[in-house]
Amino acid sequence: MVDDEALKAWFFREVFPLEPALTRFIRRNWRNESDAADLRQDIYAKIYTAARSQLPLNARAFLFATARNHLINTAKRAKIVSFDLVADLEAAFPEATSADLDRQLTAREELRRVQAGLERLPPRCRQVMTLRRIEGLSTKEVADHLNISTSTVEQQLAHGLKALADYMLGGQGKIRRAAPKTAAKRERRS
Amino acid sequence: MTPHNDIEEIAAVWLARQADGLSDEEQAQLTAWLDASAAHKTAFWRLEYSWEKASRLTALRNPDTLADTLAETRPAPRRLTLPRWAMGLAAALAVVTVSAAFWPRPAVYATDIGERRLVALPDGSRVDLNTQTRLRASISPDGREAWLDQGEAYFDVARDTARPFTVHIGGRTVQVLGTRFSIRRDGDNVRVMVAEGRVRLSGPKSASAPAPVILAHDEVATGDGRSTLKSSTTPQRVEDNLAWRRGLLVFDQITLSDAAKEFNRYNETQLIVGDARTADIRIGGSFEAANVEAFVRLLRSAYGLEIARDGENVKISE
Repeated sequence: MVDDEALKAWFFREVFPLEPALTRFIRRNWRNESDAADLRQDIYAKIYTAARSQLPLNARAFLFATARNHLINTAKRAKIVSFDLVADLEAAFPEATSADLDRQLTAREELRRVQAGLERLPPRCRQVMTLRRIEGLSTKEVADHLNISTSTVEQQLAHGLKALADYMLGGQGKIRRAAPKTAAKRERRS
Repeated sequence: MTPHNDIEEIAAVWLARQADGLSDEEQAQLTAWLDASAAHKTAFWRLEYSWEKASRLTALRNPDTLADTLAETRPAPRRLTLPRWAMGLAAALAVVTVSAAFWPRPAVYATDIGERRLVALPDGSRVDLNTQTRLRASISPDGREAWLDQGEAYFDVARDTARPFTVHIGGRTVQVLGTRFSIRRDGDNVRVMVAEGRVRLSGPKSASAPAPVILAHDEVATGDGRSTLKSSTTPQRVEDNLAWRRGLLVFDQITLSDAAKEFNRYNETQLIVGDARTADIRIGGSFEAANVEAFVRLLRSAYGLEIARDGENVKISE
């Protein structure tokens, strides 16, 4: 049994750097682009569960084999018609070279990517992220500096975290608002 | 399957709070939430991973960062750090604009079999050309006109109420102000599909020309010879019909003979369906347009069809 600390280190080192390639793989092979994030989440969960008994030797092969099987099974379960996967998924296995490039982002490129990700955020959100992460201010301090409530700071930070992850890992970096009913609930509470 | 958005939302809120340190009670709640499902844990780690990467930015910190960040009340002017190729492109576009103004002869854009091309017009409109397509465009201060000589194109027209954008397809014309739509032309056979906004389709030119048809989003018009038929469709179908922009063909239970025709538009390899029964087999799914080999393999393995090759021709039969 692999403990969570080792699993987490493995995800950071081997799995998350492959997310841009994984996202492309899903987009290419799945009809609805809007399902991509859900599929990715399922795939990570499956990998986590499987890796708990033993860490796979080749993370990349394991990730894409899992992804492929998950797409096939999901399509079958949804009865999306006879063979609603792009041609044969076996042929669609991403090539090693492109993924190795994904993985070896230099520190400099990574820095540029984070910077670009931050710049795409709405101004208030970017301010909060910058003060929090770069200046190392606490939530309370950020709130005082910007003259906003701590719950606003937390909310902005949560939005920013999601958008930054999406952008850095190869997505659009758009802020996806929570479903309207959740927002309404929160308003009632405050 | 819990929608990913909900899990990610909760993970983000926890991570935002954790950065300040959690009380024992909160920590216990977080641990319980993380342990509840592998999806929770991996979603949380994923956000943590990018948040950790963001710490690299502290390298950029200088005494003024704090003041600058606080002073920033409006969106910062987007820093123009265009890569070199983009500058080149901008220069090239500027040249096109200038030459278009002085030289009203339309520019010609064309694609070969299996090719796709994205064209940026000087007015800010963009056109995706599908396989075997020829488009001419003339954009000037006086007007915006294009001619689809053959093939299929997707237009994302920049809004300009003073200069309607007109596309000529043989005797028919499509006129818009600013919208997104696709046109497919096969000789006199024309199909117009609207993804957003409205378009006006008129023609064909003749003494007894039918009245123009107005199409809104998710509506489609097919013109064949003199007649024009308008019908509504679904966003899913519109998306499926535009899948070629991603290099895909999406079939919703069409006959094998129609599927073969579609593939044949994109490939030198031509599929020939041998007999009527095979031609009527229904096919559904999405396929890479350029990967006709994979499609053929699937027909053999999933449908047990016979495949015979003769040079560029592939004959399919039972």
